[in-house]
Amino acid sequence: MNQSTSMKATLAQCKAELLRTVRNRRFVIFSFIMPVVFYFIFTNTVGDNVQVGNVDWKAYYLMSMTVYGVVGASLTSYAQRLSRERSQGWLSLLKITPLPSWSYVLSKVLSQAVINLAIIIVMFVVGGVFKDVNLSASTWIACGLFIFIGGFSFMGLGTLIGSIKNADFVQVLSMICYMGLSILGGLWFPTDTMSSTMKTIAHLTPTYRLGQGAWDAVAGVSINWTGVGILVAYVVVFLAISSYIMKKQEAV
Amino acid sequence: MSYAIELDRVSKIYQGKKAVDQLSLKVEKGTVIALLGPNGAGKTTTISMILGLKQPTSGTIKLLGGSPKDIKVRNRIGAMLQDVSVIDNLKVAETIELFRNYYSNPLSLQELLRISGLEKEKDKMAASLSGGQQRRLGFALAAAGDPEIIFLDEPTVGMDVTSRQMFWDTIRSMADKGRTVVLTTHYLEEADSLADRIVVINQGKVVADGSPSQIKAETTGRVISFTAGASVTNDQLQALPGVIDVEWNGRRVKLHSRDTDRLIITLIEQRFEMKDIEIQSGGLEDAFQAIVHSTN
Repeated sequence: MNQSTSMKATLAQCKAELLRTVRNRRFVIFSFIMPVVFYFIFTNTVGDNVQVGNVDWKAYYLMSMTVYGVVGASLTSYAQRLSRERSQGWLSLLKITPLPSWSYVLSKVLSQAVINLAIIIVMFVVGGVFKDVNLSASTWIACGLFIFIGGFSFMGLGTLIGSIKNADFVQVLSMICYMGLSILGGLWFPTDTMSSTMKTIAHLTPTYRLGQGAWDAVAGVSINWTGVGILVAYVVVFLAISSYIMKKQEAV
Repeated sequence: MSYAIELDRVSKIYQGKKAVDQLSLKVEKGTVIALLGPNGAGKTTTISMILGLKQPTSGTIKLLGGSPKDIKVRNRIGAMLQDVSVIDNLKVAETIELFRNYYSNPLSLQELLRISGLEKEKDKMAASLSGGQQRRLGFALAAAGDPEIIFLDEPTVGMDVTSRQMFWDTIRSMADKGRTVVLTTHYLEEADSLADRIVVINQGKVVADGSPSQIKAETTGRVISFTAGASVTNDQLQALPGVIDVEWNGRRVKLHSRDTDRLIITLIEQRFEMKDIEIQSGGLEDAFQAIVHSTN
């Protein structure tokens, strides 16, 4: 095996991952249609220019829904693809092909990066064009970059859920995590509207911490390193548990 | 002589139970070998260990002289496993393309569609194929890298008669190209018609090993039957060398022997009165049953 074959295999693997994602109806609904529809509904009912912590609601909620879409891509479609590959023997078949395991992992990460980036761009274009969300170029980039990089933490959670072999259970569990974390983390309704107990809980969720980076950037507040720390801690924990589970499943 | 596959005293113990027990096996390149055995005999476990999917408890395994975990070795093999479903949301041609990209010298997409008989289905979603078609797609993926050794674990389960026939022809043409084919099956007809060598496995051990005709001969042997003239007696026949058993049905005689070739010469040389001579080999089915029963 030479370098060019590995490269070719990695690219083909990425292409297949992207095709599978785009053809997944659940992905299109939860990562594109739902955030866009929610965005229009809640900006129209609440009012575009209502202030949420010195920020226009239409800008604040655009970040919320972008995070919501990115989280959905990892939890619904990625976790389910992973679980199917494991439960339906696909992973065993891949193990006997010359596809190196690093290439398999790399293509998962790369394709998820493309997907997350696409969601961010689509949402930002929708907000900028249809709702006149007016941010400076550097703010757009800061928000996008934070959601993009932070979004990988949900790949960690998706990997953890995807390590469960029962695909039906994964579907239910990922939905519960997705909706639960989105509501608790203040993606649907801002945490400012929550009771103080709920707010404390919200601040522990990775969804809130991912949203926080973007909300802060829109408000011109400097980055909250505690939030970043909590997000990183989640990634470490998710990946540690999932690699432990996968090793255990393999030790036959 | 370098072997395609070498197993040296390989054992696999699951929770105190021996699934494979001190199994040694050498497979020469270019052989079509069938692993035959009842369910739970250890065939799939053996294949999984050869492919590096399971770790043997003890013993050593060499695949193409190296380790199955070596990517260079994996580039030269292909396998069709049991219980592997098709990948979701990919079309037939896309799935095959994906696998072609893993190997350094793949067969062409057209060739793979042809040998798996999926030309008409190439633009269908793989998940929408029938069970038999999904198995054929599995075969196309196994053949994608133009492998030197191809492993087929119960390949024709779920295939209809036409599919099976076509599949056999493909395997024969691979063998003609000098490829090594390892298949497990519980269809005796399949092993008989395809394999140059049959290894019968029961309770994790090799209980018989040889060409299909050797396996048949070693166990039930063959039968010479004829209508005997008035001069022929039971005692005369029993006394002949190599005769295991004599059955009479009126004047029709059945002689069981391990070596019917020599026996027929003896019968003719001694000028026995015989009419309507037939030589039959015992079925592989009988042989298989006999081997399995004797080792249980």
